[in-house]
Amino acid sequence: MFEEYPKEIMSKDGTPILIRPLVKEDEQALTAFFSRIPEEERWFLRDNIADPDIMREWIGNLDFTRVLPLVAVKEDDNTIIANVRLHRRPSECLSHIAHLRIVVDPAFRNQRIGSWMLLDTVRLAMTMGIEKLVAEFVAGVEEAAVHAARKLDFYEEAVLKDYVKDRRGGYRDLIIMVKNIHREWSDF
Amino acid sequence: MTARIETDVTSQSGCRVVPLMLPHVGLSIHLNCPPGFFADLSLDSGLGRFAHYSSIIQKFDVFEKIASGKDGKVALAILEPRTVVAYAACWYPSTSERWSKLGELMYEMGAIEVSRNFRHMGIAQTIINHIMEEEFFEHKIAYMNGFSWHWDLDGSHLTIDQYRNLMIQLLSKHGFKEYYTNEPNIALREENIFMARVGEGVSSDDRKRFRNLRFGIVDKK
Repeated sequence: MFEEYPKEIMSKDGTPILIRPLVKEDEQALTAFFSRIPEEERWFLRDNIADPDIMREWIGNLDFTRVLPLVAVKEDDNTIIANVRLHRRPSECLSHIAHLRIVVDPAFRNQRIGSWMLLDTVRLAMTMGIEKLVAEFVAGVEEAAVHAARKLDFYEEAVLKDYVKDRRGGYRDLIIMVKNIHREWSDF
Repeated sequence: MTARIETDVTSQSGCRVVPLMLPHVGLSIHLNCPPGFFADLSLDSGLGRFAHYSSIIQKFDVFEKIASGKDGKVALAILEPRTVVAYAACWYPSTSERWSKLGELMYEMGAIEVSRNFRHMGIAQTIINHIMEEEFFEHKIAYMNGFSWHWDLDGSHLTIDQYRNLMIQLLSKHGFKEYYTNEPNIALREENIFMARVGEGVSSDDRKRFRNLRFGIVDKK
């Protein structure tokens, strides 16, 4: 599945970047990456993986049949600048679905890194036989990711009104976006 | 039924001819077909126009033009006596294409197609195997645009991802890799694929120029 990695991409400003699977040796670099994500955004992550102990446990127990983590790294110094994770459920009835979560270093936003990562995840999902990709985004926080996802034909399946709380106790909508991985042509 | 190869010979026309051992079928691969070779050939009925799919090349004058161009290569699988059942054609990119910005460094594996009546016999792989034997490719970046709107899903009974994987398998045996690019035609659909093979003789400077060009940056040599 990972024979084609690393894959070369380039940011809008011409910085050479590699996309590759996460490896255990990335632990410190990934902790550093999450520590650069603003507190207001980290608040919405499922786990506090900027915490070195939680990171160590998470990366030490990686099971690629459940979670496929990819990272984008600067080619010159291997700094992690984006992370996408593809989560799959073990049950047969949900084996055709994967949930994706994506985070991009603020210093590298609006550089198409997230778009390339999303595209790569879609292609990976195609090779895995995934039929439906699901992504959740917090309204007003992850607008750039929503925009990039729309460009790849993700559509809003549902909006859970006032579903998550921000740090100040305010409510925000959770946007659930879905992309169907088409296996055949439409007859239209 | 998979093709086995017998000893190859050079024909009077100048093609290199590789007979294929197929039960009940007299079939041979003609490599580097020269201009003038295509006059009395016919196309098998499995190459042509269908409901959701049309052959990329349907007239022999296109082959003639490719074979007449600089380093143009046409390979045909011919059923005795003169019926084309598969073909591959390669050429330098036209000046309207992004890849032409690197001059003759880039070389396009422009088309490969097997008649609907002759699939699953290993013909495409056999043709590619023979084309890629040439030293010529060690000094080129050979590339292939996989546009899904050219894929015969109905005739192959494959899904989009299966067809895509088939193309990857076909070319990866010869060192082709998938590369990301923002070239607009490739970027139109996520299943489209751009594959390339960087020859061993390609310099590191040219490799860098290729990388930049994939993202729209043109370096002067």
